[in-house]
Amino acid sequence: MSDDYFEEEDFQTKFSGHTLRRILSLTRPHIKWVIGFLVAIAVVSALDSYFTFLSKRVIDEGIVAKNVVALRQILTTYGLLLVVQAGFVFVFIYLASVLGERIRYDLRKTLFNHLQKLSLSYYSRTPVGWIMSRVTSDTERVSELVTWGLLDMTWGFMNIITAMIFMLIISWKLALIVFIALPILFVVAIQFRKRILTQFRLVRKLNSKITGAFNENITGVRVIKALVREKGNLTEFSVLTGDMYKASYRAAWLSALFLPTVQIISAFALGAVVWVGGLQSDFGIITIGGIQAFISYVTFMLWPIQDIARVFAEMQHSMASAERIFSLVDSVPEVKDREDAFPTNTIFGDIEFEHVSFSYEDNVPVLEDLSLKIRKGETIALVGPTGGGKTTIVNLLCRFYEPKQGVIRINGTDYTKLSLHSIQSKIGIVLQTPHLFSGTIRENLRYGRLDATDAEIEEAAKVAGAHNFILKMPKNYEEQVGEGGNLLSVGQKQLISLARAVLAKPEIFVMDEATSSVDTLTEALIQKGMDVLMKQTTSFVIAHRLSTIKRANRILVIENGRIAEMGSHSELLKKGGKYYRLYTKQFRAQMEQEFDPFADKINPQTLPLAGD
Amino acid sequence: MSTSQIRINYDLNQVVVKNKIKGLWRLMTGYHWHYGGAALSLGISAAAKTTTYLLIRYFVDQYLLAKSSTVSLPLVAAGFVMLAVVEGSFAFLSGRLAAETAEGTTRRLRNYIYDHLQHLTFTYHDKMQTGELIQRSTSDVDALRRFFADQAIGIGRIFILFIINFGMLLSINVRLAFLSIIVVPIVVLTSIWFFKRVSKAYEKYQEQDAVISTTLQENLSGVRVVKAFARQEYEINKFEKENWDKYLRGKKLNLMHSLFWPISDIVCGAQMLTGYFIGALFAINGTISIGSYLAYAGILVWIIWPLRNLGRLIVQLSTGMVSFGRVLEIIKQNREPLDNGSASIPDRLKGEIRFENVGFQYDEGEKVLEEINFVVKPGQVIALLGSTGSGKTSLVNLLPRFYEYTSGRILLDGVELKDYPRRYLRSQIGIVEQEPFLFSRSIRENITYGVEKKVEQHEIEEAASASAVHDVINSFTEKYKTLVGEKGVTLSGGQKQRVAIARTLLKDPRILILDDSTSSVDTETESEIRDALTRLMQDRTTFIIAHRIQSIMDADQILVMDKGRIVQHGKHQELMAEGGIYREIYEIQTRIEQELVKEIANV
Repeated sequence: MSDDYFEEEDFQTKFSGHTLRRILSLTRPHIKWVIGFLVAIAVVSALDSYFTFLSKRVIDEGIVAKNVVALRQILTTYGLLLVVQAGFVFVFIYLASVLGERIRYDLRKTLFNHLQKLSLSYYSRTPVGWIMSRVTSDTERVSELVTWGLLDMTWGFMNIITAMIFMLIISWKLALIVFIALPILFVVAIQFRKRILTQFRLVRKLNSKITGAFNENITGVRVIKALVREKGNLTEFSVLTGDMYKASYRAAWLSALFLPTVQIISAFALGAVVWVGGLQSDFGIITIGGIQAFISYVTFMLWPIQDIARVFAEMQHSMASAERIFSLVDSVPEVKDREDAFPTNTIFGDIEFEHVSFSYEDNVPVLEDLSLKIRKGETIALVGPTGGGKTTIVNLLCRFYEPKQGVIRINGTDYTKLSLHSIQSKIGIVLQTPHLFSGTIRENLRYGRLDATDAEIEEAAKVAGAHNFILKMPKNYEEQVGEGGNLLSVGQKQLISLARAVLAKPEIFVMDEATSSVDTLTEALIQKGMDVLMKQTTSFVIAHRLSTIKRANRILVIENGRIAEMGSHSELLKKGGKYYRLYTKQFRAQMEQEFDPFADKINPQTLPLAGD
Repeated sequence: MSTSQIRINYDLNQVVVKNKIKGLWRLMTGYHWHYGGAALSLGISAAAKTTTYLLIRYFVDQYLLAKSSTVSLPLVAAGFVMLAVVEGSFAFLSGRLAAETAEGTTRRLRNYIYDHLQHLTFTYHDKMQTGELIQRSTSDVDALRRFFADQAIGIGRIFILFIINFGMLLSINVRLAFLSIIVVPIVVLTSIWFFKRVSKAYEKYQEQDAVISTTLQENLSGVRVVKAFARQEYEINKFEKENWDKYLRGKKLNLMHSLFWPISDIVCGAQMLTGYFIGALFAINGTISIGSYLAYAGILVWIIWPLRNLGRLIVQLSTGMVSFGRVLEIIKQNREPLDNGSASIPDRLKGEIRFENVGFQYDEGEKVLEEINFVVKPGQVIALLGSTGSGKTSLVNLLPRFYEYTSGRILLDGVELKDYPRRYLRSQIGIVEQEPFLFSRSIRENITYGVEKKVEQHEIEEAASASAVHDVINSFTEKYKTLVGEKGVTLSGGQKQRVAIARTLLKDPRILILDDSTSSVDTETESEIRDALTRLMQDRTTFIIAHRIQSIMDADQILVMDKGRIVQHGKHQELMAEGGIYREIYEIQTRIEQELVKEIANV
C-alpha cells in the first residue's frame, strides 16, 4: 500500500438538470423502494409535527380544562401513533439504507463491467488510482445523494410544511411571523454549510498530503539520516501541519458557530411569538398549549433546515462525482468487434504485417511502415533498446491496439474482421512482471482454461516446471499467493504464469521475458516450459536471455519503430552490426551473473560456458 | 517556558505512563485550561437552555395565567432572545475551545511522531513495516483527534445535560423527576450493547470493502492478462460475487440500525408519555403549576433522547483508547541521539580510518561481521568485493553509525568513532546508492537536499554539470523545477544516480561511500557516470562496494569479503599474485571474453 497514495482531487460542478435527471434515473429499477421510503419518511415527519400538536391538546384540553378522561384519550392516541411511527421509522431506515447499498452495488457493477470492455489505450492514459476513486468514493457520494439526500430533503420539507400547517391552524398571525424567519434561516444555513464543506475538503486534501509526507519520511528514512536532513524536514512538515491546524480549526469552529447562529435567529422569531402571542392571549386568540406548540415548532425547525442545507451544499460535489462516473460509463472502447465480425476457429497460421504504422495518443509514431511475414509455427525473438517498439508489435498482434495504418492478416484474413474474443481466447501470454490474482495457486492456474480438470492443471504445472515447487508449499496447490501474488518469489510467479499459458493451449504464444534474474534452476525450468509452448505455437518473445534468442527461428532487431536487422542468430552475428553489439554485451552481463564465484565457488576451468 | 512554547515544544515522551488516562491528560498539556473552559461553557450553555424552560414557566404561570407579572411582555420576549444568545455563544465557545485543544494537540502529536520516526534507529525501521507505521501516524492519530474533539466532549455534554436537567426536574417535583428516568439505565446499556455489535458488523462490512478494492485493483493492473486470456466474463462474475457479498453485509448492518432506532424510539417514547401523563395529572390536581408542566415537558426531551447516543460514543471511545496505545508504541521507542559525543570537532577531517578487530551483530541472531582489520589513509580508495550478504554493506553502514559495531574499535583520525556526534559524522560522509531514493519534489530541491545553507543556482548547476546531468535536466520543460516522481518526470536509474552524485557533490563530504553496481545502466551512461564518480572521488576517502573487478582494479586497497570476514586484502597486483577467490573472479571475466570470441568464431 505504501507507494500508492493517489491524491484525492476535488471537483465541483455547475448544477445541471440533465445530470440530476440521470442521477435520479439510477433509482428507476428500484422505484418501489424509493416511493416506499419517501412515503414512510413523509408519514414520520407528519407524525412528528402532529405529536407537537397533541402536546398542545394535552395542555389545552387536558390540563387547563382539568379533564383526565380527555388527557388519557389524547395520550393513548399519542402512544398508539408513536408505535405506528416506529413502524414507519423502521421502513424508511431499512428501505433507504438498503437502497443506498443497492445503488452502490449497481454502480460498481456497471462501472466494473464497462471497464472490462474498454481498450488498453484507456488504461494507458488513465491511472489506476483515478479509476479506483471513481468506483469506490464517487459511487458512495452518488448513492448518498439519491438515498439519504433525497430522504433528508423530503423529511425536511415535509417537517417544515406540516409544521407550518399546524401553526396556521393554531394561529395564522403567529405563523406568519415564523414564516418571515424561514427564508433567512435557509440562506444563512446554506451559506454556512457551503463554507464548512469547503473547509472540510481542504482538510481532506491536506490530510492526504500529510499521509504522503509520512510515507516519504518512512520509506526514505535512510537517505534522510545519511544527509542529516531531520531538522529541515521537520520544519517543512510543521508548515503542513500548521496549515492543517488552521484548516481543521476553522472547519471546526465554523461548524460550532453554525447551530448557535441558526438558533439565535430562530430565538428572535420565538421572542416575537411570545410577545405577540402574549398580547393575543388577552383576547383569547391563542391558548397556553398553542404557545407551547409554537415554541416547540420553532425550536425543532433547526434540524430540517440544517439537513436541507447540508444536502444542498453537498449536491454540487455529488453531481461532480456523478459526472465523472457517467464519463467513464460513456467512454467507448477503441478496439471492438466490427458489426459483421465473425469468429475464427483457429489463429494458427501465417501472420502478416503489411505496411503497419502505429502511434499512441501523443501521435508520436512508434511503428512506421512495418511489413513482416511470419510462418505458421515460427518462433520470433524481438530484441532492441527500450522504447524501440517491441512491446507495441506484441500489443498489435494481440489486438490490444489496432494499426493506425496498414493491415495485419492472420491466415490471410484482416484480423479486424474477426471477433476479438475468438482471437484473444487463443493467445497465451506471459508478462515481464507476471501478474497473479489473490487466491490459491490452483485458481491462478485455472485462469488459463476455466474448464480444466485438476489433473490437467497439474499436468500443465509439470510441463512448465512449476509442479515441484508447488508441492513443497505447505498446502501445495491450495496455497494462497497473496495480493498480486506477493507471497511468491518472482521466479515462482513466472513459473505459474507460464503454466497458466500452457494450460490455455494457445495457438499464438507471447512472452515478454523478465530482465530481473532468477536462480539458475528456475531459469532452466522456465526455458524448458517455453520450449514446449514454442513447439506447438507461433511464438513471439521479447527476449533478454541468450538461450531464448538463439532458439528463435528468426531474430528481429527493432529500433526506432523499424526493423533494423532481421535474420537467424548466426547470420546476424556474422554481419557484425547492431545485433552483434547487443549480443556481446548481453553475453558478458549474463555470464557474470551466472558465474558469481561467491555463490558456490565454481572452478572457472570447468564452467559449462555456452554449452549448447 | 511560556504557554505557547509548551504548546509546541512539550516533549511528548512524557505521555508514556502506565495510566492511559494520565497519558491522555499529559497529551493535552498546554490545553488543559482550554478543555476545562470547553466543559464549563458547555455547562453554561446547557444551563441557559434549561433556564429558557423556566422562563416559559414564568411566562405561563405569572403572565398568562395569574396576570400578576411584574415584568413587562417585551422584557420576557427579550429574555428568550437573551437566553438563546447566551446558550448559543457558550455552545460556540465550547466548540471552539474543544477544537483548539483537539487540533492543537493533534498538530503537536503529528509533528512529534514525524520527527520521532526520522530519529529512530535503522534497527527499528528494519523491523517495522511501512504501511503499519503510516497507519499509526495517520489513522490512529486521527482517532485520537476525534477522541478529544467529539467523543470525550460528547460524553461530557450528555452528562452535563443530564445533571443540569435532572437537577431542574428535581426542583420541579422529586417524585416526578425519579419517575422520568426509569428507563435511563436500560437505554444506556442497550445502546452500548447495540453499538458494540454494530461496530463489529461494520468491521465486517469494511473488510469486504477492502476485498472489493483489491479485486478491482488486481483487475485494473492485470488488464493485459484479463484481455489476453479473454477472461472478461470470469472477472465480471468474480467481482459480482464480492460486490453482492458487500451488499448483503451492508444489508445486515442496515437491518440492525433499522431495528435499533424504532425500538429505542418506542422505549423512550413510552417513558416520555408516562412522564407526560403523571406530570399532567400533577398539574391537574395542582401538585405542580401548568407552567411547571410545560417546563417539565420541555426538559424531559433533553434528558431522554441524547442518551441513545451515549452507547455510540462509549464504543468509539474505546477504539480511541486502542489507537492511543498503538501511537504510544511508537513514542516509547528511544531516539537515536544525534548530538551526543565527547570528541572535539576538528576544523577539517583528514579521513584516516582504522578498523581494529571490529565485529557486528544485530540484537538477536548471528554475527554479521567478524575480526575486521584494516587501515585507510586519507584520500585512498578502498574497494569491497563480495557476494550479497557477505557483509560489505553492513561494514560501510558502521561508518555513519547507522548501526553500532558490537566489538573492537573504529578510529577516525585517531578518535574512536563512538565519540563523534552522529550529526557531525553523517555530515562528513556522502553516500551514493545504486538505486538512489529521490523525493517527490523538484530536481533542484533534491540536489540541495543535504545542504542546510542557502545554495545559489550556479552552484547547483555546477554540481549538476560535474555529475553529467545538467543537460538532461535542461531538456525538461520546467528545468530544475521539474518534479520528480508520479506527478512529474520519471527518471531512469542512471539519471537518478547522477542526481544523487550532484547531491553528494554539493554536500562536499570528506568520506565517500559508493555502491557501484552499474548493472542496469546502459553503456553510454555508464561511462558518464564513471566520469562523474571520478570527479566526485577526488581528494576524498572513498569506499566502493563493487561487483565487478574492472571498476576497482585501480583501487588503493581491495577487501574481498565472504561471510562477514575479510578473506583477501591487498592491491590488484598483489591479489592476482596471491591466487584465491580474487583471481578466480578475474579469470572468469577473462574467460568470458575468450568464450565470447570462440562463440562468435563458431557461428
